[in-house]
Amino acid sequence: MKFPYLKEAIKSVFKKPSTEIYPIVNKEAPEGYRGKINYYPEKCVNCGMCIRVCAPGCITRTIEKTEEGDKITFNFYQGQCTFCSLCADFCPRGAIELTKNYHLAVTDEKDLLVSGTFIKKLPPKPPVQPQQQVQNQQNQGAAKTE
Amino acid sequence: MFKKLIEKSFEKSPWLFHLNTGSCNGCDIEIVSVITPRYDAERMGFKLTGSPRHADIILVTGPITSQSRDRLIRTLAQVPDPKVVVSIGSCPRSTNVFNGSYSVEGPLDKYVPIDVSIAGCPPKPEAIIDGLAKAIEILREKRRAMK
Ligand code: SF4
Ligand code: SF4
Repeated sequence: MKFPYLKEAIKSVFKKPSTEIYPIVNKEAPEGYRGKINYYPEKCVNCGMCIRVCAPGCITRTIEKTEEGDKITFNFYQGQCTFCSLCADFCPRGAIELTKNYHLAVTDEKDLLVSGTFIKKLPPKPPVQPQQQVQNQQNQGAAKTE
Repeated sequence: MFKKLIEKSFEKSPWLFHLNTGSCNGCDIEIVSVITPRYDAERMGFKLTGSPRHADIILVTGPITSQSRDRLIRTLAQVPDPKVVVSIGSCPRSTNVFNGSYSVEGPLDKYVPIDVSIAGCPPKPEAIIDGLAKAIEILREKRRAMK
């Protein structure tokens, strides 16, 4: 009679158990793991590339007009994210990052929302010339042609 | 005294029921890997059961397709109270990439309140263990509240 796995079985008797005692010993995610999203609003330029490439459409943007400029809010709803990292790859400014944090079990839905707000300043208005000066210039121009 | 013992053992060993409502099998494999010797959720008392009538915690995966919707409702109705609904992955939470499809009738919270949601596509087995630990606390609270 043959016991094909006998060697393996005897070896395993003296091995340590292969169970990872997870909550007691914390485990690092492997390099390159795509977990919780980090968004850095100060780097973002509001180009909208991330919204364009996101397949499930979990990125939403709201734009509010204020005095200093446009107040732009990006919301990443991780309950709808596939963690594909396309948004991070396509972002030209590196404003999105998928971290190695995988602790995404929540009891409150709102904890899955990552959002960031920044204010995009309007371009400075060209200085308005006083009315008098403009007329003078025009008069001078007219005088020259005469 | 006997009753007390039963009460205590109830809390220490919740039974799981895995309900697939049309998922891509990613999350299902992760649930199965939680039960394997490597992650071994059974050391914390979780046991996968085959019948919804025996279950305390229901793990729902998938975006709820039209085919599986009636089965989902029927299965959820068979689970005795108090029950804890755990959504695994992004699909039951929000229907994920299938959002707006003609054959998807999710998300899950249209049909039943979700107690614990685990985000990820699929979530890591460690994240599922995290979620189950939260589910146990909720189950305990619900049991106390029923008494
Ligand atoms: S990781 Fe993928 S699914 Fe998630 S926000 Fe980025 S593009 Fe969208
Ligand atoms: S792709 Fe990057 S820079 Fe462009 S809107 Fe998205 S986060 Fe901002």
